[in-house]
Amino acid sequence: MQLAKKLGSKKPNREKVNVKLALTVAATALLGAPCFVNAAETSALNAWSFDTAVLYYAEVDRVTATEAMLGASKTFDDGSVLSLKFTLDVLTGTSPNGAVAQPTTQTFTRPSGNGEYQTPANKTPIYDGFRDRRVQFNGQWTQPLAANYTVSGGVHISKEYDYLSLGVNGSLAYEFNNKNSTFSIGSSYFKDTYNPVGGIPKPLTVMITGSGDEDVDDPTRLGKDDTKSSADIMFGVTQVINRRLIMAFNYSYAKVGGYLNDPYKRLSRVNANGEAVDYVYESRPDSREKQSVFTQAKYNLGGALLKNTMLNNTVLDISYRYMWDDWQINSHTIDSRFYIPIGINSYLEPHFRVYQQSAAKFYQPFLNEPDSLPTYASADLRIGEMTAYTLGLKYGTFVNGGDELSFRLEYYTQRLTNAGFNEPGILSRQALYESVNAIIAQVTYSF
Amino acid sequence: MKIKLKRLLLVPLIVSVTGCANLGVEPWERDLLAKKEMALTSSPIDATFDDHIYFSKEASSGGKGFGGGGCGCN
Amino acid sequence: MLTKKLPPKTYQKLSKSTQHRKVTIENRVDGFSILFFAMASQCEIIIETTKKSLAKRLGDKLAKEVWRIEDKYSRYNVNSICSKINQSNGQAVAIDNETYLLLNFADTCYQLSDGLFDITSGVLRRIWRFDCTDNVPTDEQVNDLTAYIGWYKVSYDDQTITLPESMEIDFGGIGKEYAVDRCILLSQAITDKPVLVNLGGDLCATSPRKNNQAWQVGIENPDFQAHKEQNQQMIVSLTQGALATSGDAQRYLLKDGKRYSHILNAKTGWPIEHAPRSITVVAPQCVQAGILATLALLQGENAEEFLAEQGIKFWALR
Repeated sequence: MQLAKKLGSKKPNREKVNVKLALTVAATALLGAPCFVNAAETSALNAWSFDTAVLYYAEVDRVTATEAMLGASKTFDDGSVLSLKFTLDVLTGTSPNGAVAQPTTQTFTRPSGNGEYQTPANKTPIYDGFRDRRVQFNGQWTQPLAANYTVSGGVHISKEYDYLSLGVNGSLAYEFNNKNSTFSIGSSYFKDTYNPVGGIPKPLTVMITGSGDEDVDDPTRLGKDDTKSSADIMFGVTQVINRRLIMAFNYSYAKVGGYLNDPYKRLSRVNANGEAVDYVYESRPDSREKQSVFTQAKYNLGGALLKNTMLNNTVLDISYRYMWDDWQINSHTIDSRFYIPIGINSYLEPHFRVYQQSAAKFYQPFLNEPDSLPTYASADLRIGEMTAYTLGLKYGTFVNGGDELSFRLEYYTQRLTNAGFNEPGILSRQALYESVNAIIAQVTYSF
Repeated sequence: MKIKLKRLLLVPLIVSVTGCANLGVEPWERDLLAKKEMALTSSPIDATFDDHIYFSKEASSGGKGFGGGGCGCN
Repeated sequence: MLTKKLPPKTYQKLSKSTQHRKVTIENRVDGFSILFFAMASQCEIIIETTKKSLAKRLGDKLAKEVWRIEDKYSRYNVNSICSKINQSNGQAVAIDNETYLLLNFADTCYQLSDGLFDITSGVLRRIWRFDCTDNVPTDEQVNDLTAYIGWYKVSYDDQTITLPESMEIDFGGIGKEYAVDRCILLSQAITDKPVLVNLGGDLCATSPRKNNQAWQVGIENPDFQAHKEQNQQMIVSLTQGALATSGDAQRYLLKDGKRYSHILNAKTGWPIEHAPRSITVVAPQCVQAGILATLALLQGENAEEFLAEQGIKFWALR
């Protein structure tokens, strides 16, 4: 260390300049004069990089959503990465309110309790038109810890008219086996507050028809707001199999508790002939325990057979997820993408996804009037039996020396199916499980 | 039945953990793996949007990361 | 001294990699990228041109040059001049002009570092194996070996070199940087198109890209490659000139809570204390950048000060 100090700060400045100078002379002797008049110029180290994207989602006759996102990330000298993301959503349109279609006009109270709206005969009852805006902010900090260890932590804030969500997450990754294997563990926690229009409805109470009077205490309301919390934990392994193949395996466990109802959803109570007698608010358990296993493979095709053809360097991305929970919902998801380079600076990426889920144990499309009310019931089609398909195509091109511009167009269709419920009387002639068809369009620019 | 299925699905996970020693590549064989399109999430923006859409339309979420959630859409 | 990026296990890897000596060429938006493996690193040459034939010719030529230098100066190659010198048993060995110039350069570095950088210190590798264990040698072992270290004991001129018995020399600390600079010289003789030479993170660019744009170079952070979902690299914007990195966070020993870095003081045979994990330095030529980074690491806790006071641009990772 004495020697080090001799060369370091204790040494007169004149001699230090000599180190640089002497090296220039020595390098010139070795290689000839430097090729450059000026010393190397470097600048703009660790500049910010940005992602901007707009997504348009439109269901036939239902919801339309426009989502704009701005992401910014910066890598620091020590390898830490800060990423920030702002998202803005505008949601308009209508959504099924849970009641079944009838051969007659149906009248519903607005969620606010003030005023009514009507659903024409033989149509699936939907909420009156709505419009909601949502703003979201995410911040994530990722940092190398010791050799082969990486930690990451982040925050999430999302606010819409009737909903506030606050979340934190953290994870730790360990690389081993010559960086061919990674083990990671992560956890997240969300605390949400629901503040629905008109307050929290009392589950399974009959919706009052007729104009509500604001001065009178509404017996169907429990309060103004309620909360929900979710805790997740995840274990993951990634493994490089060979030069062309990398695989990932995850296991996740999530526990959700609190207010899990959709305050705007109801169920029709029907008589023996299938005619709606009244409508009650849905009732779900106040906890849900979810687990899932996920596996993914990314495979670079190519090889001798494909060499110099268009499919050289094509990457196949296939994943499968199995999810199960204590509401007795099971689901299978297969997601596949196929990255096909075109020429020097473009690519095409077809996308295909299949999703299948079973109904929750308390799901039922309607209640039968003479029967006593069950503890839990929901007619929300999203927890019913369904198969959904996504078919999409993405085109991307690199411009201005590295910026990426991409367009994505997808078709999403949800085929809802009857999970074994009888349809008495007039209901047999009504469409209780209308499919959802949507177009997804997205433009992304990264620079 | 369900228990059985769970066990079955955990098998590849265990195989992967114990099988690590023989798998993998040398540093000079990383040319293909280093490409952006070989990253497990090659387009994080698409993944975020997809998580949001499917979280609001279906009863499942996450699995790959902490996807979806954090909004009143479901 | 530094024997950077050549871990002990590298012997098999090197012999295996010489069997894999092939050059692949890939299309890029503004030109071509030529990839090959040499000196235990992934190497890449980027050229901005529309002519694939030119790119191919350049790539073949540069890869051949890098492999030539590797074969000639690798201590793992039994036929290299390095091995010949090391096995000379005190006899004079004839050297060519290129070797003489490299020895001159190493001599300058020895003088400038006051003996801290010494190409005869490679023998310390026999007792210092930086495999992340607690395998720290004893004082006795270190003292025994320091008898075989000392550049001043070596005599050489432009014809021969004489190395005392049982001593060894090692070009590991300058060989790769020298190869980068040689590639740049060759590129300039072949084409005036912008070329970037990147040999495992030690790199140099002949000129800015077209429209005077800078090269965006991702430098693999040795400590940080987790989360394959993102590309965790330090991005450096370089118009022309060289950049070299010294240090390797993966190599250390840990005993009784004390961390021993793999940067050894050639005079004491013990690791330098409080040195940054790695330093990246900017200079007109790669050999300068590389040796400045190494000399800085040898300053231990004064590493940053050493470079800053000389007005040298650098990034240190602690």
